[in-house]
Amino acid sequence: MAARRKVASAGLRLPDLWTVLTLAALAVLAIFVLWPLANVFTASFYGEFSGSLGLENYATFFGSGYFRRALWHSLFTSAMGTLLALALGLPLAVIAARYDFVGKAALRVLVLLSLISPPFIGAYAWIMLLGRQGLVTQALAGIGIGLPTIYGAPGIILVTALNLYPLVFLLVHGALLRIDRSLEEASLGLGRTRFQTFRSITLPLTLPAMATGALLVFLGVLSDFGTPALLGENYPVLATLAFTLFLSEIGGNPAMASTTSVVLVTVALVLILLQRWVASRRNYATDAINRPEILRMAGWQRFAFPAFAWGLMAIANLPLVIIVYTSFLETSGPVFLQSFSLDSYRQVFHLVRGAIVNSFAFSGMALALIVVTGSVVGYIISRRDTMLTRVLDTALMIPYVIPGTVLGIGFITAFNQPPIWITGTVAIIVAAYFIRRLPYMVRACASYVYQIDRSVEEASINLGAPPGKTFMKIMLPLMAPGILAGAVLAWVEVINELSATVVLYTGTTSTMPIATYSQVLAGSYGPAAAVASLLILATTLSLVLFTVIGGSDRELTV
Amino acid sequence: MAAIGIVGLVKRFGAVTAIEALDLEVGAGEFFTLLGPSGCGKTTLLRIIAGFERQNAGDLQVGGRLANDIPAHQRDMGMVFQNYAIFPHMSVFDNVAYGLRQRRFNRGEIGAKVSRALDLVRLGGYERRFPDQLSGGQKQRVVLARALVIEPQVLLMDEPLSALDAKVRVGLRRDIRLVQQELGITTLYVTHDQEEALVVSDRIMVMEAGEIRQLGSPREVYEDPANLFVATFIGTSNLLDGRVDRSGGGSVALALGARLDLPDLQAADGTELHLALRPEHLTVLDDGPVPEGLVALEGIVELVSYLGSQSRIAVRIPGVAEVVEVEAPSAAPASALPSGRPVRLGFRPESAFLFAAASGERVR
Repeated sequence: MAARRKVASAGLRLPDLWTVLTLAALAVLAIFVLWPLANVFTASFYGEFSGSLGLENYATFFGSGYFRRALWHSLFTSAMGTLLALALGLPLAVIAARYDFVGKAALRVLVLLSLISPPFIGAYAWIMLLGRQGLVTQALAGIGIGLPTIYGAPGIILVTALNLYPLVFLLVHGALLRIDRSLEEASLGLGRTRFQTFRSITLPLTLPAMATGALLVFLGVLSDFGTPALLGENYPVLATLAFTLFLSEIGGNPAMASTTSVVLVTVALVLILLQRWVASRRNYATDAINRPEILRMAGWQRFAFPAFAWGLMAIANLPLVIIVYTSFLETSGPVFLQSFSLDSYRQVFHLVRGAIVNSFAFSGMALALIVVTGSVVGYIISRRDTMLTRVLDTALMIPYVIPGTVLGIGFITAFNQPPIWITGTVAIIVAAYFIRRLPYMVRACASYVYQIDRSVEEASINLGAPPGKTFMKIMLPLMAPGILAGAVLAWVEVINELSATVVLYTGTTSTMPIATYSQVLAGSYGPAAAVASLLILATTLSLVLFTVIGGSDRELTV
Repeated sequence: MAAIGIVGLVKRFGAVTAIEALDLEVGAGEFFTLLGPSGCGKTTLLRIIAGFERQNAGDLQVGGRLANDIPAHQRDMGMVFQNYAIFPHMSVFDNVAYGLRQRRFNRGEIGAKVSRALDLVRLGGYERRFPDQLSGGQKQRVVLARALVIEPQVLLMDEPLSALDAKVRVGLRRDIRLVQQELGITTLYVTHDQEEALVVSDRIMVMEAGEIRQLGSPREVYEDPANLFVATFIGTSNLLDGRVDRSGGGSVALALGARLDLPDLQAADGTELHLALRPEHLTVLDDGPVPEGLVALEGIVELVSYLGSQSRIAVRIPGVAEVVEVEAPSAAPASALPSGRPVRLGFRPESAFLFAAASGERVR
């Protein structure tokens, strides 16, 4: 019966389920990524003063020392932050991949912890330690030692590098473990020393991973808003400048904010393209059959290597300890008193209860959307190779590259009028969270789908289950670990989201990161520490969950 | 009535033609094998029949009805895959019950059908196991039961044994054939293993480059190959070069010098030939005169391979590109020849297959 009906309608076959879903996903990306970006792009070409179409704003941008400096600051801090992250991440990766030392098993968790904690928390903690009123600054000043300032470039570089070096570590560590033992043994067998072998075999093989890591760090520093916002003071970078121009209290300047955003996005895009080009030329896809052997530490190494690893762990995670500790201290404005109390928490629950509720509500809603959309899209791009899915795959890179501040500006520009009038609502924040972190979920799911043999799916279809049902009954259960890992990471990212929220929030849609940020700016360090501690708690619990479910490093580095 | 009918089927992937205007009829209850080297289009054809690929032209009929537009999940065919495709998150029972649940059988029926299917593949009692507790052969039996339990119109098997160890392979292929005969289910079986094809099939379709090279019973394709491709792909063929030459005595002049008298040759004078000899058609001659009716070849023993009851003697003949393989009982003195020993081989001209060198078509 079914056969006859189908044959009869052969002329007007409907597009299949997956084509419809691919088109729907493309539509969502078009509305929430391309449309806002197009708005920002267009606005940048309408003159700040004249209002006419042209390059007036760009002339202003590159003609003014102020704007040029911001561009230079962005490039400088990103480059230096990347160098520092490499200097920290590379040795750690080599030590962890090639040597055994006490507590190595805990290393990965600690590295991940510093990665998934938001940078503005680190910035705030370092202000408490090395800022003007900082504990260390005060203590050293007491014995007559003056410290260089942490405000401006040095602080931004330090904080972002300590936050992002794990990207270098994870990628290079992974690459080192994938180099088959036989390669190095062959080199040693040919008479090279260990050091020569490392330099001529091992290091070159990890170069692509290193380049990817460096690029991710560079992008991370470039698009970070929280750190330069807290530590920048008179040191504007593109991300903070775009924000200030857009939401300045003495009348915003959307035209120049847009121009600054476009410059910021352009820098990011150029880097991504550069990295892709490098990666396509130098790709040594190796997969170790025999993992490299663990070497014995000799002489000075036995002290130096563990000391480096543990020293770095301590410093990188110090902010978290400091914040949790100070959240239990009695405070008076920016000054911490010597006695413990729960005052900060009381104040927080009194003052910003709405922000706490909002954070969980917004993140929860965004996460639900991310999980549903991400698992379907992750499946589609890894299983269906058509023109449309390739476009979708590429389009998904965009939200990953766009700094939150820029996306926020684009959202407000695009969605403050019909047909989509959601500026100032909960919807605009949830939409921003959703679109920014959707790529995480898609990648996490896709990497699992790739491991599931296609014939498993075909077997189900063959046994009579239609494609949609096959997805639900066969693919979803098999993708579950990837979905869970992606969900945990997306959750951590959205609950800590600051850079887009800071553009989009209103009085009633504040969140925990916003509360932390404004409390720090207002000098209320106690409540700031208390909210930040709640964020740290949420983050740490998520990380524990991620580790328990066996999430892999792949999901973290996209 | 044909269980499967294919008319003028064409499948292209971009500019590459995978299947070229193919016609085929498979009878009800037949064990039909698609045999060919990788890339010959056999798996593509199976996947078109299953509904996973769509042909560019031509018609597919199943049970007498046009099936071109029936989606894969409504085709009612059981499929067994090369790499098991067992559902790893389901028990053996749930794997086998999957298609039955889809068809809304009640619990009692499902239980009865699943245990009957598992008994059929000799896995009774394995219901509660999970795939990671099964060997490769057991997994493939589960998948076979899963495909059979829905009582499909057609059973499709895509190289079901190629992921298994040699010993398991032989046992399972026998079981597959027994089950197929017991149920009388129309079966399409894809393999690149010619020995496997000969053992299990009612009929074999030998494919190369998207086209049918020969279609016939195992005996026909082995004993009466239609062309050079089939003669060399199925079994071993030793090839000697020659040409049609009726000017002297006989009708064929071998490049090695001997002349053969084959009256029923369908080729014009001067046609270049390949003469194919099965290893069992060659014998090792002793030192006496060449027996009546045999043609002799001189060579040197390169290697003797002991294969149990039989041995294979590889002989290097000057002027012949490939080593010539001769089969002899291991008990015969010839199978004890040392490497490097000169040897004389003999064959009956009428046992040889002759192919035109240019087209590969059989001329005798």
